[in-house]
Amino acid sequence: MSIIQQQSIATLGDNWRTINIDLLDPESSSNFETTTLHPAFAPVSEDEVRTLGQQVRQLLRGGDAEGALKGALENAPYGGDNAVKDLHLQTVTEVLQGIKASEMTPMLQRIYGLDGGSDALDVLMKYLYKGMAASSAAPGKSSRGSTLTPQSTGAGFSQMGGRPGPPNENSGSAMSVLLSWHEKVVDVAGLGCVGRTMTDWRKV
Amino acid sequence: MSPPEVHHLFHAPIADHSFSADKQTLAVARDTGVELYSREGGGFKLKDELKGHDKTVTSVDIALESGRIVTCSQDRNALVWEPSPSGYKPTLVLLRINRAATFVRWSPSEAKFAVGSGARVIAVCYFEEENDWWISKHIKKPIRSTITTVAWHPNSVLLAAGSTDAHARVFSSFVKGVDDRPQPGVWGERLPFNTVCGEYLNNSAGWVHAVSFSPSGDVLAFAAHDSSITVVYPNGADQLPKAVVSVSTQLLPFMSLIWNGESEIIAAGYDCEAYRFKGGEGGWQLTGSLESKSRPGAADAREESAFNMFKQMDLKGKTKDDTKLTTVHQNTINTLRVYEGSTGGVRKFSTSGVDGRIVIWNA
Repeated sequence: MSIIQQQSIATLGDNWRTINIDLLDPESSSNFETTTLHPAFAPVSEDEVRTLGQQVRQLLRGGDAEGALKGALENAPYGGDNAVKDLHLQTVTEVLQGIKASEMTPMLQRIYGLDGGSDALDVLMKYLYKGMAASSAAPGKSSRGSTLTPQSTGAGFSQMGGRPGPPNENSGSAMSVLLSWHEKVVDVAGLGCVGRTMTDWRKV
Repeated sequence: MSPPEVHHLFHAPIADHSFSADKQTLAVARDTGVELYSREGGGFKLKDELKGHDKTVTSVDIALESGRIVTCSQDRNALVWEPSPSGYKPTLVLLRINRAATFVRWSPSEAKFAVGSGARVIAVCYFEEENDWWISKHIKKPIRSTITTVAWHPNSVLLAAGSTDAHARVFSSFVKGVDDRPQPGVWGERLPFNTVCGEYLNNSAGWVHAVSFSPSGDVLAFAAHDSSITVVYPNGADQLPKAVVSVSTQLLPFMSLIWNGESEIIAAGYDCEAYRFKGGEGGWQLTGSLESKSRPGAADAREESAFNMFKQMDLKGKTKDDTKLTTVHQNTINTLRVYEGSTGGVRKFSTSGVDGRIVIWNA
């Protein structure tokens, strides 16, 4: 980031109001490096996430919904860029949509009881919030673009391509699924889980 | 087990509270003043008010031996109140900070106190005889955000601090001429002022609300806004800790915690009740609440008459009065302190909260 936003040096005299003084002050709190608040993440490529997504879908089709959910949550691509993260969000959303309402609570309780299960549910909660944020923005152009990009560049088979329904209908049903999951996750993992979704710097 | 002793002092938040050594005097930070209550029979009676700050008082601490009271406030000042026959005499301490003072605690030796602040410094203050003046030295180095809490090591040299940059840190606050040279230990060998003996962060990196050394001083626990407590077992200077155990809970975040022996921690916060954790280097667990929900006072669930039920439905549109929490505290607990015993073995502890209550519990 340059010290002068938008303006060039030539116009500096007139536009001193646009100088970002925080950058000149090493003590300023806006220079807080938030990357120090989480461990360094290994970069994740789009292909890796795509392969993972296919494995997860295979498990889901094979009837092992719990395995699919665990696999998707344990390998959250923290180190990926936004496209990669959106791609994985699609995978997780699909798994969530593929699980029956009656199976949710017992499955969550089983996962919570496992070693590191509380962490898995924290990740799930992050995806629920991300999913709700994304689908509420779905009618707009920007997020549609971002969900479409991975498909058009994707080599070969993608399930999302098979459902070209109107975006509103899609997001509405996705939202209700996410909301019912949210309720169930809070029942099992408590409000602490929501708090951690907000404090955690490992964003999905 | 006898029920907890509940004192509802007033309808305003209590930022901090502190008992004198004989437990006869209770200091409570309320708004811009500090109220002193003395025990009379079963209750507490307002005796004196310490007026000296002109902004919200954030913290208060009574030195157990000397009886001196230190207070700090958002007006960026700390005051030391000296007991005298004609009442308490304040002395202003120049902290040299340009943001609010957030937290203050006497060192166990009572020769120093530490003030956390929003100016990203901890002011360590000590009395200088020649000048008849409190001097403050700043611990500054790696702190990048507001200090929310501090806690002293039993040797009065090491100081733990929690910050909104999500780190719990251990510093040396060694002041020549005031402190005895500390024994080398798990936190380091040589400890000049502002040595960073440890810097810890948990996975979800919530900001830190409370820190505390174990009774031996060799273990550090901190509670953060991600509803977790983290216990750190250090392994000597410049080495990775032996173990860092983090417990993520289903509850709301904890605001304060105390040790009860080396294998038990009591923490309380936004859930308005105190919880017990047990464990050791291998792992820690939440074992449950210290509040027995079936105490006689919890008569909310009693059988209502049909007449009463319809009356309630008519008046309020519902049959149950759910305006009261089932916990003793009716709002967030801010401070938890040992009341009777020591951190090595707590017999009773006291809590204060946003609801204006002081409650004394059996540990």
